[in-house]
Amino acid sequence: MEKPQLSCKLGILSRPDGSAMFCEGETTVIAGIYGPVEVKMQKVINDKASVECSYRPKSGLPGIEDRLYESLIRNICETSLMASLYPRSAILITLQEMHDSGQLISCAINAACLACLQSGIDMKFMFGAVTCFLTKEEVISLMPPISKSDVKALFVFVFDNAAGRIIASHTEGSFSEEQYKEALNLGREESKNVFIFFKKTLVGINSC
Amino acid sequence: MMSSVRKAIVSNCEKKFLIKNLAEWTRLDGRAFDEFREIQIEFGKDWGCCYVSLGKTKVLAQVSCEIQQPKSSRPSEGILNINIELNPIAAPHFEAGRQSDLSVQLNRLLEKCLKDSKAVDLESLCIKMNEKVWALRLDINVLNHEGNILDCASIAALAALAHFRRPDVTSDGEEFIIHSYKQRDPIPLVIQHYPVCITYSIFNGGEFILADPMLLEENVADAFFIDWIECIQGTLWFTPWRVDVILNTTNKAASRAETVVQLIKEAIEQDNERRLEKVELGFHKAVEAKPVENSIGDLSICIDQWSVKHKKSKKKKNKLTEGEEKIIKEISETVQVTEIEALGVGSAALVPQDSEDGNRWQASDSENDDDDVMVVDIPKPVIETVDILDTGSEEEIVVILNADKKTKKEEKENKTMIDTILT
Repeated sequence: MEKPQLSCKLGILSRPDGSAMFCEGETTVIAGIYGPVEVKMQKVINDKASVECSYRPKSGLPGIEDRLYESLIRNICETSLMASLYPRSAILITLQEMHDSGQLISCAINAACLACLQSGIDMKFMFGAVTCFLTKEEVISLMPPISKSDVKALFVFVFDNAAGRIIASHTEGSFSEEQYKEALNLGREESKNVFIFFKKTLVGINSC
Repeated sequence: MMSSVRKAIVSNCEKKFLIKNLAEWTRLDGRAFDEFREIQIEFGKDWGCCYVSLGKTKVLAQVSCEIQQPKSSRPSEGILNINIELNPIAAPHFEAGRQSDLSVQLNRLLEKCLKDSKAVDLESLCIKMNEKVWALRLDINVLNHEGNILDCASIAALAALAHFRRPDVTSDGEEFIIHSYKQRDPIPLVIQHYPVCITYSIFNGGEFILADPMLLEENVADAFFIDWIECIQGTLWFTPWRVDVILNTTNKAASRAETVVQLIKEAIEQDNERRLEKVELGFHKAVEAKPVENSIGDLSICIDQWSVKHKKSKKKKNKLTEGEEKIIKEISETVQVTEIEALGVGSAALVPQDSEDGNRWQASDSENDDDDVMVVDIPKPVIETVDILDTGSEEEIVVILNADKKTKKEEKENKTMIDTILT
């Protein structure tokens, strides 16, 4: 099955502790992480770090949808990062959309994971996301259809690499239960490739 | 109060170190005093999407457009909104979605640079008087703050505006039809002239003047001198300064602006060519093409090699003076700035003497000039050829007219070519 080409560049920004530009097909997102850093008074948590996430679309002000992505990515990062190692501090994760051709959410999640890995912050496991599309012709594919109006439903699955469990699932549109299961299996298979890609990029960094 | 959380404070010894180095004619990153950092301009797949890096300072700009009702005071003009966002990715003390003093200041300076100087021809964005005009929105996201955001943002903004194309609109008298990019070729904006900001930082009350300050230099500097060239206008903050120094710096900035504008135009031309060739474009291509950058900052490398550099400083000085001479020669050929108008306490405007349309720039506090003293020296129907235009001075405009005719012909040919391909 045809799948989007993954590419990535680590450490593209000098200010954040970790940064990555991640591309899934044409979709591109820049992620940066600061952490652990000083925390604001109202956000102090006594026994762990407070994970903050901000997502920025490339044009216009962030809307409700963007806030939804923010909270999704914040939740994923919170489960994956060892926040309890850094009490009374903050971890800031920022995402910037560069280009969207459909897989924006999964691309942002993968970028966030690579940024975390590059910063060297402690993590329990890696997380990788896959987007599946259900087209109007009831075909499930990993490639986005050429025109956006052909998308009937969109599934985003996030897996961990340790146990292969599903961490998060985000869906848009209408679909049947079988279709969801089919997409889930497809996503699970593809997530293995995503993790292989992660490992390759990280090894590439260490060797040079 | 809250914004000071996580903000890096510059220590006294850092300050002293920097100033002491300046006294020995060295900068921390090894640049000459009037040397700028390298500019890189990349375009995304979307129209008007531009990613610019000035050294390590990085900025993403995106232009978008929609149809709105015009302002009642300007019924025949389109609207241009500029919005700069200090993304928390750029520095940990930046807050998402909240305006800070810095962002307001940068926004205003960019507005002055692009909007008040009328760089974009807003009248060509009018669809129907009093009812429908195009409203452009320019979003600038700062991605990495390593000093001199303004220069980087102004380059990105200008490149994005020059790159952007809006959909074509036709009217059958009653209804307006917006054609999608696929139906009809999109139309580029009319850029009347190309203003860019050039920043210099000033130390010890004018003793040292550094081009393109990096973060530490920016924090230590006691003043900034910002030029936006084309309508030559400077602001000068907080410090008494000698007139000849201002003139000299402005002249230097003028020649720098020329090279920057040239760079932007070349980048756009290159992008257009690639689009015509139907090469696959976008950031994902750029990521694949380039090898992984070294993530260690230049600064730390520079400091590691400090002793080595120090020995070489004699040679460097020679180079520096040569470079300066060159620049000064270039300037004397290009722009002559002579008059200075005081606008108020701590600010001044430089008026170019040689240009006959001298009042191209109006001081921002006298905005009651509704009669448009602005000399529009470009003929109206040049919509399709903006990116080739060069509106430096009157002499050059003559060249444009010729170029315009030529390119129009060429474009006709192109169109027929495209038509044949389509059929």
